Amino acid sequence: MEGLALAAEHSALHTWVETSALLWPILEIVHFIGLSALLGSMLIIDLRLAGLFRHINIAATHKLLPVAVIGFGLNLTSGTLFFFGDPIRYAANTGFILKMTLVLIAGLNALWFWWKINPLMKTCEPGVELPVLAKIIAGISLGVWFGVLLLGRLIPYVSTG
Amino acid sequence: MFEWLEYTPVAVWVGESLYGYPFMLSMHAVGLAIVVGIFAMRDLRLLGCFDGIQFASLKSLIKLGWSGFVINAISGVFLFTSQATMFADSTPFLFKISMIFLAAICAAVIQSRIRAEGHNWDIAGRVTAGSAQMLAALSILLWTGAIISGRLVAYF
Repeated sequence: MEGLALAAEHSALHTWVETSALLWPILEIVHFIGLSALLGSMLIIDLRLAGLFRHINIAATHKLLPVAVIGFGLNLTSGTLFFFGDPIRYAANTGFILKMTLVLIAGLNALWFWWKINPLMKTCEPGVELPVLAKIIAGISLGVWFGVLLLGRLIPYVSTG
Repeated sequence: MFEWLEYTPVAVWVGESLYGYPFMLSMHAVGLAIVVGIFAMRDLRLLGCFDGIQFASLKSLIKLGWSGFVINAISGVFLFTSQATMFADSTPFLFKISMIFLAAICAAVIQSRIRAEGHNWDIAGRVTAGSAQMLAALSILLWTGAIISGRLVAYF
């Protein structure tokens, strides 16, 4: 992490983020819009897979996935630029390291979802529930993403180093 | 006018305790994700996305959205009290509150429209009232505006 932070500190991208006065608030706004898109769509998909909102067809919630992907893309982009703007401090921040660990777990969980649940979801008939594994993956997703949300907001307040 | 608020025990706790302010900020992010996320998905559905999700079924999702609204009304009041005079003087903050107020009215109207017309829209396969779609578009604009002005509170 430290090597990565030092490399980022000496990159042209770092200089750009650090010297563009308007960029930081714009990135923050994008990050909030992205998290609303990601969490809003994931909440509906995961709560439905977990067995709530049974009057909504599982196959129909599948159409929300592109919104989650767009939200994640916005936040990966804005988040990477945040990191480049202040790499040394982020790399040493316990809240940031924990948040990135959770994002990694969320990513692996998403791969698991893609492999096991996604094919079943698309063809799921109305009124049919998916296997227990779908509920487990949905539960992990909800827990991890809300953890990411909480930790992200705590980054400025937790100790560095 | 708001000075006395900053000296109430609650305000002092939020402002001075180690965990009060960050805890409320974190709750505010959670509530934001729920209320803006869910209401935006509702609006996109009304605008024609996510074909297959029944309009009538949005009613229960809207309740989930309101739970986020309540989380943020509560955490927002706590955050406000700790720096009441600063917030009351902040133009972006006043914009933010106005937009949230309008977005809440919008949400209440959309909710009653779905209750009354949702089944008909499901039979037709789309929202047949242009005014309901206008409200959905307005709602997305208002929440986006609330996020933008909310972030700018820290800069102006």
